[in-house]
Amino acid sequence: MIVTYLLRRVLYGFATVLGVLLLLFVLFFLVTTPDDIARRALGEKAPPEALAQWKVNHGYDKPRIWNPEAPTDTMLAEHFKRMLTFNFGNSDADDVAITRRLREGVGPSLSLALPLFLLDLPLAIALALLVALLRETYVDRLGVALCVLGMSVSVLLYIVGGQYVLGKALRWFPISGFDPRPSVILRFLALPVAVGVMSGLGEGVRFYRTVFVEEVGRDHVRTARAKGCGEGRVMIWHVLRNALIPILTQVVIAIPFLFTGSLLLESFFGIPGLGALTVDAINNNDFATLRTMVYIGSLLFILGQILTDLSYAFVDPRVRLE
Amino acid sequence: MRDARVAAVCLLVCLGVACSNNPYPDSDDKERVLYLNYQEAPKTLDPAVAYSTVDHMIVGPVFDTLLQYHFLERPYRLIPGLLTEMPEVTPRDDGRVIFHLKLRDDLLFQDDPCFALGTPGATTRPVVAADVAFQLMRLADPKVNSPVAPTMARIAGFEEFTARLQKLREGDQAFMARRIDAQYAAAGGIDGVRVLGPTELEIVLREAYPQFRFWLAMEFTAPVPWEAVAYYDGSDGRDKFAEHPVGTGPFRLALYDKRLRIELARNPNWHGVLHPEAHAPGAVYPAEGEPDDAARGWLDPAYVGRPLPFLDRVDFELDKEDIPAFTKFLQGYYDLSGIIEESFDRVVHQGRLSPEMQRLDMQLAKAVEPAIYYIGFNMRDPVVGAAAGERGRKLRQAMSLVIDSQAFMDIFLNGRGIAAQSVIPPGIFGYEETYLNPYRRVDLERAKALLREAGYPGGIDPKTGKPLHLTFDTGDTSARGRLRYQFFVDAWSRIGVNVEIAATAYNQFQDKVRRGAYQLFMWGWVADYPDPENFLFLLWSESARSAGGPNTAEFSDPRFDELFLKMRDAPDGPERFRLIQQMRGILETERPWIELFHPESYALIHGWVHNAKPLGMSSSTLKYRDVDVRLRAEKRAEWNRPVTWPAWALLGLAVIVIAPAVRTVRKRMR
Repeated sequence: MIVTYLLRRVLYGFATVLGVLLLLFVLFFLVTTPDDIARRALGEKAPPEALAQWKVNHGYDKPRIWNPEAPTDTMLAEHFKRMLTFNFGNSDADDVAITRRLREGVGPSLSLALPLFLLDLPLAIALALLVALLRETYVDRLGVALCVLGMSVSVLLYIVGGQYVLGKALRWFPISGFDPRPSVILRFLALPVAVGVMSGLGEGVRFYRTVFVEEVGRDHVRTARAKGCGEGRVMIWHVLRNALIPILTQVVIAIPFLFTGSLLLESFFGIPGLGALTVDAINNNDFATLRTMVYIGSLLFILGQILTDLSYAFVDPRVRLE
Repeated sequence: MRDARVAAVCLLVCLGVACSNNPYPDSDDKERVLYLNYQEAPKTLDPAVAYSTVDHMIVGPVFDTLLQYHFLERPYRLIPGLLTEMPEVTPRDDGRVIFHLKLRDDLLFQDDPCFALGTPGATTRPVVAADVAFQLMRLADPKVNSPVAPTMARIAGFEEFTARLQKLREGDQAFMARRIDAQYAAAGGIDGVRVLGPTELEIVLREAYPQFRFWLAMEFTAPVPWEAVAYYDGSDGRDKFAEHPVGTGPFRLALYDKRLRIELARNPNWHGVLHPEAHAPGAVYPAEGEPDDAARGWLDPAYVGRPLPFLDRVDFELDKEDIPAFTKFLQGYYDLSGIIEESFDRVVHQGRLSPEMQRLDMQLAKAVEPAIYYIGFNMRDPVVGAAAGERGRKLRQAMSLVIDSQAFMDIFLNGRGIAAQSVIPPGIFGYEETYLNPYRRVDLERAKALLREAGYPGGIDPKTGKPLHLTFDTGDTSARGRLRYQFFVDAWSRIGVNVEIAATAYNQFQDKVRRGAYQLFMWGWVADYPDPENFLFLLWSESARSAGGPNTAEFSDPRFDELFLKMRDAPDGPERFRLIQQMRGILETERPWIELFHPESYALIHGWVHNAKPLGMSSSTLKYRDVDVRLRAEKRAEWNRPVTWPAWALLGLAVIVIAPAVRTVRKRMR
């Protein structure tokens, strides 16, 4: 039964990915042309001969969608062929193999995303449990107000504010940059991780608090209390455990994206991860890299959804995958 | 509970270790390293292709050039680099010109495993004339796709070599698989490039082109070992040559993680290091310069005559955002910086360093760039162009008379630049400081009179009875760009001309330019080399945009063209100056351009950096730079003491907020 379910989800996912690839191709070439890509790669002073040769060397001299003489010899067909065979080719911006860029970028992305994930989630759950435990006290009200405030502030403000206060004014951490050497890596990660945790905390605490408060009012929690369980035990064993499904929804889907990095944090803090690679690809008109990142992002999204469904069934025996 | 305490202690220890804003390992403090930043990663390090400033930032120090610019003298003067003397130029009766080059005989390439391809076990080899010939063949190779191939086509047999190579490669996979030097040999080499001996070669040009000497001062013509190109082909896990340069310069590439950091290290094989006793012109610090160079500290006796380079390493850090990069510079972690607009008023007061910057012992280096920004008219347009005859000319003159370049620079560039009177910027032969273009001052009354004479009294187009409507085409759709264009539109509205900004996506703008469907545009040009030809050719009819050239104004005037060819081939001197004056006169009246400004670069340099005179041309000056490491370490420590009291204040606040909560929790738990 589960195999049929998985097969169906994979097929749906495949269709979605094809749609994403088609949409990306259409949107990208609506706003730019192969000439722009060539000019961006070779510079403003490049003569027309060099631009034309560049297009030939990179396959951008072919008809875009339809070639009556050779239907498969088009940019669109090449686009699908490359993606579906995982032959990503070279970057349009600098001709470096995209697989190499991916390999180089995963480390920095994970070194930011993993501590961020590991700190953000337990902290948000712990604070949410605390405010749920102290609901309708000043802590709860202050906590909710701070959460709403935290959610309302743009991530950019956290980044710029963090850089200004912690990097420039207090001189605790480097304002930006990255260095994988063990002697200095913590210096560079401290600020983006702190900013990432701060910016995500409001939303996380508010969401988990709602889940926990709803769970606290359920019969089984009242029964546990009636049986004489301490409040701590009630919160951990009866509330948290039964609130796992909404937590999993947030968590499992986020796991695959740890690899693709954070667009904003990586870009603003100069961390050479996959998020920054995507932003660079957009800025450089680097279609080859951009489509690879979008493709990988779509695949990971589908994977995340399937994993979430599986984890539902795992933690809640009432859920059946059909 | 115990686990939580352990985790908290670990976190505090981590934060303690992390608590420093120094982005470099402490071990770097005592090394002679220059720290710079870059905002955009280089696209290629192949000297046959690299054409942008950021590419040259790395390619320049790694590939020494045959000729180079004197570091201190202005106007720019070429001196031998890898050559023993300046090239001997011999015109032939058939119009061809021969450049005879003699390389130094003490040159070695940097160490690299690629040389084992030629001699097993070798890590370097002497530089020979054939390496220059090889690089010239690379410029002709369509697979390399060098942007300067059209310029180099002036070498006799250049295009023929391209055609032969292309033909041999067509559909022949076996030929394509051959080693690159074998492919070039099979194609017969370039007829006009003759290797006469291990260190001698001749380059035959099809026609007189005196500016060719400037190309010998660029990395495009620097010697490249065939072994490096053959070995670094991107296969079997090896790099591509475009990211693994092997050159002859004072520095070698030590680390190339271009999305993070690039490191150059001193090249122990550089001729200046191996043979300091030779006192080669580009291998020792110069003794002569401009009159005020001594006062600026650029002729310090401690450096004059000493062998180069002074630095052990140059670190380039990627910092894409202006503000963090500038903050790091102010913290002492970058040694040089441009000045960001947001901080300009804090840093510069009336063209000089502010008292705050003077207290930090900063130096300010200003240099007018060999560049020009201008508004161009499409001379093929029926209203503003040549077809409109005298009407069009007067209209262009009138429109030129209302643009205040100084006001534009004051508003948008913090005044960084000088108002342009002609096409040629200062520092380039033909520039005349006292020349005032009669159409490049603001004179509203004269502009209105000219407009009246052009048949547009009060700016009214008699055909429509409404203000004359023109379009100002641009590929810049940003709000900032719009403001800049609006400045000009407002100026023209003062004489009644209604100019509409037609801002489209860049590719649409390019398409308009290709189709000739534009009236006004704004553009800039940065010189490749310091010669008036490199500016005046922007208005030569053979450089027309419709023919693929940079003459976007499509200006075409037989008088100008004739003078241009004479000027191009003439040596610097009174005759050439007279020709330039005549050409300037034509442009003054015809007004295909409204010359706006020559930008001025402002660089802030810390007091511990020595010999940072800006060169202006894209030629590396890193080998002349030096840093006082001790002073830098002291200043960094002084400027970057962490402020800790807010941490304690935060901790106190947290205790005040959390303590009652903990009490409540405990109560509830019970």
